[in-house]
Amino acid sequence: MSGSAHKHIVMPDRFRDPYIFENILSMQEPVFSKECPLDMSRIAFMEPYSMISFLLMGRNYLRNRGSKLTLINLPVHIHQYLARMDFFESAVFNIPEVLDTNLMFRRNKSSSRLLEITEIPNKERQSVKVISAVIALFRKRAPLILKYWMNDSVVDYFVTVISELCQNIFEHSLDSGYMAMQTYRSGNENIARLVISDSGIGIIKSFSSRNDIKYTEGSELIELALTTPISSKREFGYGLCQVNNIVEKLKGVIYIRSGESSLTAFYNRKDKNSKYLFQRNGLIRFDGMQISISLSS
Amino acid sequence: MIISVEKTAKELKVKTPDLITRPVGRLMYSSTVDKLAVIGAGEVVILDFAGIKVIDSSFIDEYVVRLIHDSCKRDFYLKLRNISAISEINIDSVFNSYSNYKDRRIVITREDIGRNNRFYIGPLSENESDILDYLRINQGTTLDDIVNFTGADSLKVKKSVEELMFMRVLKKNNGEFTAV
Repeated sequence: MSGSAHKHIVMPDRFRDPYIFENILSMQEPVFSKECPLDMSRIAFMEPYSMISFLLMGRNYLRNRGSKLTLINLPVHIHQYLARMDFFESAVFNIPEVLDTNLMFRRNKSSSRLLEITEIPNKERQSVKVISAVIALFRKRAPLILKYWMNDSVVDYFVTVISELCQNIFEHSLDSGYMAMQTYRSGNENIARLVISDSGIGIIKSFSSRNDIKYTEGSELIELALTTPISSKREFGYGLCQVNNIVEKLKGVIYIRSGESSLTAFYNRKDKNSKYLFQRNGLIRFDGMQISISLSS
Repeated sequence: MIISVEKTAKELKVKTPDLITRPVGRLMYSSTVDKLAVIGAGEVVILDFAGIKVIDSSFIDEYVVRLIHDSCKRDFYLKLRNISAISEINIDSVFNSYSNYKDRRIVITREDIGRNNRFYIGPLSENESDILDYLRINQGTTLDDIVNFTGADSLKVKKSVEELMFMRVLKKNNGEFTAV
């Protein structure tokens, strides 16, 4: 944090993956209590999960305070990236520094290894239209987004995953959410990451009417929802369970966070006889459900 | 009757190649039910999914599962054609969940061989699968023939055959059985 006058809060470079982003979530209290700009100058890298969670954090601030968080000193490359991902389209943040049009990333075929941030409405009819459009765009860009994993079945698997997770937003969260997807390079690895998140009621509230489902901690309920066809609205459900089966087939990683709990399934490690499911509880409270699905090569 | 699912979707201005979400399933179901108004008792209805790549669990629940229920009530048989690999996986997952949570199983036959090397999708036992395969090749077979083929106890075979008929994957005409 900056000096005693709290002119601004310096955000640390913790936007690299979902686990490190917990540091940013732990700053919610000072960010929400002090009406001061966030200094983004130290951010060197931002991946899609952190970007969407940060967007939700900004939206929560706007809803709670009635005013927008101000982001200052955005490094040019981060500003370019956020503009390319349509991060500013939601108008959740104040950005006093304008990026010169000449510096904006061009929207051409070669820069389309991504799906820009799209809001998934919480109303069924609108949501169906948006999901259909997102999937049509994904099919168009899949040869670039999934270049390192490309075959027809991978594309079809992801169509199922996007469809199931986006529908969960309007069926269960009682709030709208966001989705985005991107392929990027981290060290020697190519990573394709799909993120679908909301700041709605979260999994525990969603299952509050199901007294027959027994669990002790939030992460256990996440694991149950992921591995057995349970549903908060119907007798049984298929969506999350089917998503989990697909991620396992693709040997990917799924990370789910809801409220104060999270679960990570590293299916890329499952064959090596090592532990691949990791539950965490007692995290900083962050409403809703945030999901990241990654493939690496 | 053959119903082209893609054509039905186009008539309803539903974008293909993917059929996803419950509202789309409901819309397609209601249009398909209208088309089925003219079919006779015991008729086989082929749902042709040519041109369709992905159907998700919500669509399957609202479209395929509901049509299977209707086939029992209205006495017709359903069969799938040109089902993609991912759609087969999704249908199988829905049917398995359904069968685990309800006290009845749902199964559907298909024209082309699937990933399970069988001509059906759904949770059948090995014994039931064998009977179905046998009847696909040997049309118009008696119960005694099936008993001889399986070598199993005739009461057990009779029960399996009745189950398969109840699931609408087997037909009985003049005392002879044929796979749908």
